[in-house]
Amino acid sequence: MTRTLITIIAALLAGPLLGGLALGLDRILTARLQSRIGPPLLQPFYDVIKLWGKEKIVVNIWQAFCAYCYVAANSIALVLFFLQSDLLLILFILAVGAVFLVVGALASTSPFSQIGAHRELLQILTYEPLLILVTMGIYLETGSFKITTVMAWDRPLLIKLPFLFVVLGYALTIKLRKSPFDLSTSHHAHQELVKGLLTDYSGPFLALIELGHWYEVVLLLGLCSLFWATNPAAMVVLVIGTYMAEILIDNVTARLNWRWMLGYIWAMGLTLSTLNLIWLYVS
Amino acid sequence: MRTVTDIITAENLTVILILLPFAAALGVFFIRSARLQSVVVLVTGCLLIASALLLIPLTPFQFSPRPILGLSLNTVVQSLDFLLLVIILYFGVRHRKVIITALALFQICFLAYFEFFMIRGHQPSVIFLGDNLSLIMILIVAVVGSLICFQAIPYMREHEAERNLKKSRQHRFFFVMVLFLSAMNGLVLSNDMVYFYFFFEITTLCSFLLIAHDGTPLAITNALRALWMNSLGGAAFILALIGIYAETGTIEFQKLLISGEFGQGILQLSLVLLCLAAITKSAQFPFQSWLLGAMVAPTPVSALLHSSTMVKVGVYLVLRLTPALNHTFLSQCVALFGAFTFISAAALAVGQSNGKKILAYSTISNLGLIFACCGLNTAESLTAAMLLIIFHAVVKALLFLCVGAIEQHIASRDIEQMRGLYADMPLTALITVMGVIMMIMPPFGMLLSKWMAMESAAANIYVILMISLGSALTVMYWARWAGTLMSYPFTGKFKPERQPWLTWIALGSLCAGAGLLSIGAPWLYLKMVLPVLGGQYLPPFSTHQGILDNPTGVFAVVPLSVVAILGLFVAILAVRKATDARVVSPYLSGSQSTTPGMFVGPLNRLVEAGAKNYYLSTIFGERRLTPWINIGAVVLLTLMAGGAL
Repeated sequence: MTRTLITIIAALLAGPLLGGLALGLDRILTARLQSRIGPPLLQPFYDVIKLWGKEKIVVNIWQAFCAYCYVAANSIALVLFFLQSDLLLILFILAVGAVFLVVGALASTSPFSQIGAHRELLQILTYEPLLILVTMGIYLETGSFKITTVMAWDRPLLIKLPFLFVVLGYALTIKLRKSPFDLSTSHHAHQELVKGLLTDYSGPFLALIELGHWYEVVLLLGLCSLFWATNPAAMVVLVIGTYMAEILIDNVTARLNWRWMLGYIWAMGLTLSTLNLIWLYVS
Repeated sequence: MRTVTDIITAENLTVILILLPFAAALGVFFIRSARLQSVVVLVTGCLLIASALLLIPLTPFQFSPRPILGLSLNTVVQSLDFLLLVIILYFGVRHRKVIITALALFQICFLAYFEFFMIRGHQPSVIFLGDNLSLIMILIVAVVGSLICFQAIPYMREHEAERNLKKSRQHRFFFVMVLFLSAMNGLVLSNDMVYFYFFFEITTLCSFLLIAHDGTPLAITNALRALWMNSLGGAAFILALIGIYAETGTIEFQKLLISGEFGQGILQLSLVLLCLAAITKSAQFPFQSWLLGAMVAPTPVSALLHSSTMVKVGVYLVLRLTPALNHTFLSQCVALFGAFTFISAAALAVGQSNGKKILAYSTISNLGLIFACCGLNTAESLTAAMLLIIFHAVVKALLFLCVGAIEQHIASRDIEQMRGLYADMPLTALITVMGVIMMIMPPFGMLLSKWMAMESAAANIYVILMISLGSALTVMYWARWAGTLMSYPFTGKFKPERQPWLTWIALGSLCAGAGLLSIGAPWLYLKMVLPVLGGQYLPPFSTHQGILDNPTGVFAVVPLSVVAILGLFVAILAVRKATDARVVSPYLSGSQSTTPGMFVGPLNRLVEAGAKNYYLSTIFGERRLTPWINIGAVVLLTLMAGGAL
């Protein structure tokens, strides 16, 4: 019981800590790639603290509701991940957060926010099946959806699921809001949609959304780490490698439209997943 | 001196469940006072709910009624069966629909052959059989069905006022609605397939009459389409009946299912025909058009027949037959076909802006998922199928009733017109959003069942591919709708709108019921679903502290529900606190005017800012997709039939 409680608290703390650090690292590296110096590592924390202290401004009170639900869903998903629960269930709970984010954006009548929300829905449509297929691959290899079984598996998943790892990479790029898939909103407010689905979120509510995003990032990177769960050092290396690759891709590509995203990702992602699943099925 | 327990027997309750609505229907038909009609409907509904609840501890049971007035029940049902077909024939001739006439004649001939030459003098041993599967359906029909009928009372009053009818046709409407409840109860309790067929045909006829109720040319065209497609199902059923009797000498579900071999030959072909009947009844592709057409009917009809009960007959039939399908090629085909319907209907729903059509496609899609679960035929997938039947019935009925209430208020069923409905009808909008949330989010029952379905489909690549894509499409069209309802620069205090009290009762109890059933899902599984799986399967889950657990997965229903309730509480507090936040108008590039929703355009003219939803009709449009999907479905059906040869 106490063990469970400690794990829950650890998950609730690890989300913001690791997530904020990852985002800080991202900003420094991105700056270096663009020949800038960039902000300090802790800048994301300063940002969120500052946002939290700002005046509450809303265009629709249900935005507040949605922001809270977004954080709640993402943190519950991470807690379940730390408790080594069911992978598929965790993905469903993560989807709850994504849906509330969209509903909150749709609650504002600003066209920027509306179009951003619809693009976000298209992003969900693009990555959601891929994430589910990744868990199906894990199930076919280990015989269970439970993370406990995955952690106890004596062979790195990457060996049998190489293509599904690539597929997870696609989903990760969309989820981390990286180019070429940062359609609905991006970290840089210089796109045609202003800040897309986050346009009308501000002050403490924007801080909550940022916090929720950190939980999400940590969870997704955790999902990546499961692919080499036999060795803690390998887990860290795999996660850092993947994250570096994401930052690089972000900086060398330009944003593309949703047709391209849906067409390309579904074509590539589904082909690769099917191939890999058939391998697993045959062996 | 008879005690209460002597009176409350399964036999008596069955008689109440089948004959009471029948008598009430006749009563409603002949009483021309609207007030008395409402009283009859209300009393019947309450009695049905009570009988269904009383039946729970008495299940399982079986019996055959004794002859009434010297007439055996068989003779009565046989004569009524022919009468029904003659009525259908009459409609075919009257509306000059060759296909309906032909199908009715076909059924009359084969039924005559079957009744007078094949099973002459055959006495079924068990006519009515109530097991937990029947009980699940009875509870849905009695509770959800009655609540829908309650809401229909104010709905139809308003409906007739809108249409300026000189003479009320409500007696006719409620006659068919209540008669339908009787037929559904009879159908799910029938063990004898002739009885099943009889009730099956009554539901077809009820559906026809209710779709045509408004009498507009469109309503009649659509009703006739529904009639011929369902008659096709009836024709398939009677052929299957002949095949099954010829091969096994029995037409009782129970005896048939314990008889064993279903490998190939005529018996297998008969099973294919039964599946075909199920597919037409559940409006699966390529027969989906009748259900979409049926949306012209008044909304309580759509809620009762075309989402929560009648269309479930198809999946109920396949679920009954699953022991016979085990390890057959047919079973795999059903799984594939169901998954295909699931994704196709979800894709078509994305392209729709008509609220009722979205609900119709979503119904087809979910029925497809239930078919897929039946086809996968594992203990886990069958559990998923049964839970889906229960939760889908409750939540979808709720959503239909919400759309009905909204439609009467805004005179449109287009979701673009529902933009910002929260400002106008806050409570109805919130209940609708709640319904949407219960369709797609954990820890609610629909998602719990979908989770089970996915985990049990994992071993079948094609099925899981389609289910995972379909479920993403599902999230898309539901989330879009929920967001659209809330899309308004709202500032004021929450003040519920006025609605008839019967509407609030129906909406409130369905919404609360769905929520409570979701929390109680582990017990629902233990008490209702597990007995159906019986000795044939090992229990798919163990339950402890409200957690469903097995070696492959775990879903902490109750703990998650507790956390969700806490989260909801915090979020609502946040909303209350946010009421004192500064309210600004939505961002319009800094050029917003003082009028909400307008920005200052060229020459200082005010221009309205607006954004519509994405429907992606170039990809998901009906015209574009339907032909391909129909072809796909026909190919899969051919595969199904070919496997039996």
